[in-house]
Amino acid sequence: MRPAMRVLRLQGFPIFRQLQLEERLMHKSDENWCVFNNGTSPPTIVMGVSGSPEELLDVDAVSRDGIPVVRRFSGGGTVIVDEDTLFVTLICSRKAIPSLELFPRTILKWTGELYKNVFLDNPDFTVHEQDYAFGQTKIAGNAESISKDRWLHHTSFLWDYSPARMAYLTIPRRAPAYRLGRSHGDFICKLKDYLSYREELAELLEDALGRHFCLERTRLEDVDEEEYKHRTRFVELLRSPI
Amino acid sequence: MSGEAANMVSEAGIVEVPLAQTGEGIVDCELVRWFVKEGECVEEFQPLCEVQSDKATIEITSRYKGKVSKVNFMPGAVLTPCFFGFFRVGETLLEIMISDGDGSFKLEEKENSQREREVLATPAVRSLARQLGIALKDVAGSGEAGRVLKDDVLKIASVKEAVESDITGISSTPAETGETVPADEITDFDKISADRVEQMQDDKVIPVRGFRRIMAKTMAAAASVPHFHYMEEINVDALVKLRAHLQLQTRSKLTFLPFLIKALSLTLVRYPILNSNINQDASEIRCKTWHNVGVAMATDSGLAVPNIKQVQKLSLEEIADEITRLSKLAAANKLTPDDVSNGTITVSNFGAIGGKFGSPVLNLPEAAILAVGRIQKLPRFNEEGRVYPASIMSVTLGADHRVIDGATIARFCNEWKDMVEHPEKFLLSLK
Repeated sequence: MRPAMRVLRLQGFPIFRQLQLEERLMHKSDENWCVFNNGTSPPTIVMGVSGSPEELLDVDAVSRDGIPVVRRFSGGGTVIVDEDTLFVTLICSRKAIPSLELFPRTILKWTGELYKNVFLDNPDFTVHEQDYAFGQTKIAGNAESISKDRWLHHTSFLWDYSPARMAYLTIPRRAPAYRLGRSHGDFICKLKDYLSYREELAELLEDALGRHFCLERTRLEDVDEEEYKHRTRFVELLRSPI
Repeated sequence: MSGEAANMVSEAGIVEVPLAQTGEGIVDCELVRWFVKEGECVEEFQPLCEVQSDKATIEITSRYKGKVSKVNFMPGAVLTPCFFGFFRVGETLLEIMISDGDGSFKLEEKENSQREREVLATPAVRSLARQLGIALKDVAGSGEAGRVLKDDVLKIASVKEAVESDITGISSTPAETGETVPADEITDFDKISADRVEQMQDDKVIPVRGFRRIMAKTMAAAASVPHFHYMEEINVDALVKLRAHLQLQTRSKLTFLPFLIKALSLTLVRYPILNSNINQDASEIRCKTWHNVGVAMATDSGLAVPNIKQVQKLSLEEIADEITRLSKLAAANKLTPDDVSNGTITVSNFGAIGGKFGSPVLNLPEAAILAVGRIQKLPRFNEEGRVYPASIMSVTLGADHRVIDGATIARFCNEWKDMVEHPEKFLLSLK
C-alpha cells in the first residue's frame, strides 16, 4: 500500500515564509509532504546554512538595491529567486521509502529517477553532481536536510531568469566540474523553453509521485501552525564603508 | 543511517567519536551546530550535531548512551570524516563517557574492535565486509602495506558462498537421501516436452475481470464498426493563460479537461449527430439530448470510462469537480453502474500520460470519440510572420462512418477548435 503524501500548491508565496514552513514540516510533522510554489515575491537571495555573504554576493549592490537575503536551514549554495522560480520540496519519513538509505547521494539518486519520469519528453534529463540538467545545462539546483528518520529535498527550477539579478551572485568558488567555467547564461537553461506552461511541472510531478504515494491535496490554512524555533532568518549585510 | 558516529573505546570507558562517513565518500564537512553540550547525558540515537556536506545538512546521531565529556570543535570547523585503522585522518569530534555495567563484555568488544581497527581498510570496505559477514582480520589485503581492498573482500565472499553451496549440494543429492529421480527430470534438452518449456517460462496469468472484461468486450464489438479518424492541432496559448488565471479563483482542480469538455458540449448543440448512437441493424440513429460526456481513466484495474451527466447544464467548476469525484471512485474501484452507463460521447486525455497522437476506438454504442494528446511547445508563426513558441495540442476525433461523414466531423472540429483557441467565446453561450 502506498504511503500518504500531502500536496501543498502555493502561488507567489514569499520564500522566507515557505522555508520556515518547510523547516516546521521537517521537524514537527511526521507526515510526507510535497510543497510546490509557483514563483515568489519579492526577489530574494537565499543562502545555505553556512557561507559568507562577503564571498558569495556583491554585497554593495545587494544592499544598494535593497534585495532581502535569507539564510535557510538546509545545506547547499546561494540562489536568487523571484517570480520566475518554481520551487518543489519533498519532505518524507524514512518509513515512506524503507529501502532508501538516508544519505545525500542516495536521496538525489531517488529523486533523479522521479524527475526522469517528470521529464519523459526530454531524454537529455540527467543528474550532474548535485544538479538536475538537460544535457550539460543546469535546470535546477538542490539542497537537502537529513535527520535520523526524515529527509527533505528542495529544488528550485528556473522557469526564466534575469541576468541583471544573477549579477548579485558571484561565481562560486566551488563550482561543479561540468560547469567548465561557463557564465550563468551558458550554464543555466530556462524551463519555459521545455514546458508549455508553469503548472505543467507540478502536474507532471504529481503524476510521477502518484506511483509512489497516495496524494492528498491540502490547503495552506489546513497546515498545523505549531510553535517552532526557526533557523531560517534574514541576514543583515554590512556594506563596505565609503 | 544518516550519520552514526563510529567510536574508539579507551581504557577508561570514554568513547572517542570521529565523524563517520556521511554516505558521500571522503568529503570535508562543516560543523554547523551542536545539539548537546559537555556534561549533558545522551541516549542512543540521540542527535549530537549537524554537519553540512556539499549540498546537505545531516544530523549525526550517537551510538551510545552516556554523558558528553568533551566537545572538541566549534561550529564552523571543517572536518574530514573517517579514519583508516590506526592511522586517523579525522580528529575526534567529541568524547562520550559510556555507561556499561558489564566490564567483561566491554573488554571483549574492545579487543575485537581493536583487531578490526588494526587492519588497513577504508570505511566503505569495512561497511561492505560487515554487510557480507566477513571479519577483516581474516582477509589478506592486496593493497599497499597490506591494505584490504574491495576486491579482496568480494573474493572471500565468493569463496565462502561457493563453499556453503557445495556443502548444501552435497547434503541433498538423491544418492544420499535415497530418493529416485523423477522420470520427467530430463537433462537432455532435445527431449524436453512442450509442457515443461511452458512451465520454465514462468508465465503470469491474469484473469479478465471487471474493467478489463468490459474493455475486452467493448473493443471486440468496436472492431466491427467502420471507424474513421480526423486529426487537428489546437493552439492553446489563450487557454493556458485563462486557466492559470481562473485556477487562482477557485478551489476546484481546474485542468484543461473541463474547458475541452465544456467547449465540446457547446459545439454539440449545433452538431447533435456526434452525440448519437445507431441501432444494431443500422436502421435508426438516435440523437441524444443529454450530453453525458465519458472521460477515459486508466486505473490499476484497467480502463474505466465513467461519464459526467448533462454537461450542457454544468459550469466549468462543476465539470472539474465531477472529474475529481469520478477519478477518486475509479481509482478506488468504486464506480457505480450509473456512473459508467448512458454515456453519449467520450473524451480520452492520453496526453496526461504522454503521447501526442492516437487512433481512439469508439466506446459503443456512441458515434464519436475525442482523443487529446500532450501539449507541446512548438515553433509557430505569429501574425507578423515571426517565429514564437506556441503551446500546441494535438487532437484526434474518431467517428462511426455509418453515422457521421468526414465533412461533418471537419466542420464540427473547426468550431470546437475555434472555441478552444478563443475561450472568451464561452461567454457568448451564457444564459
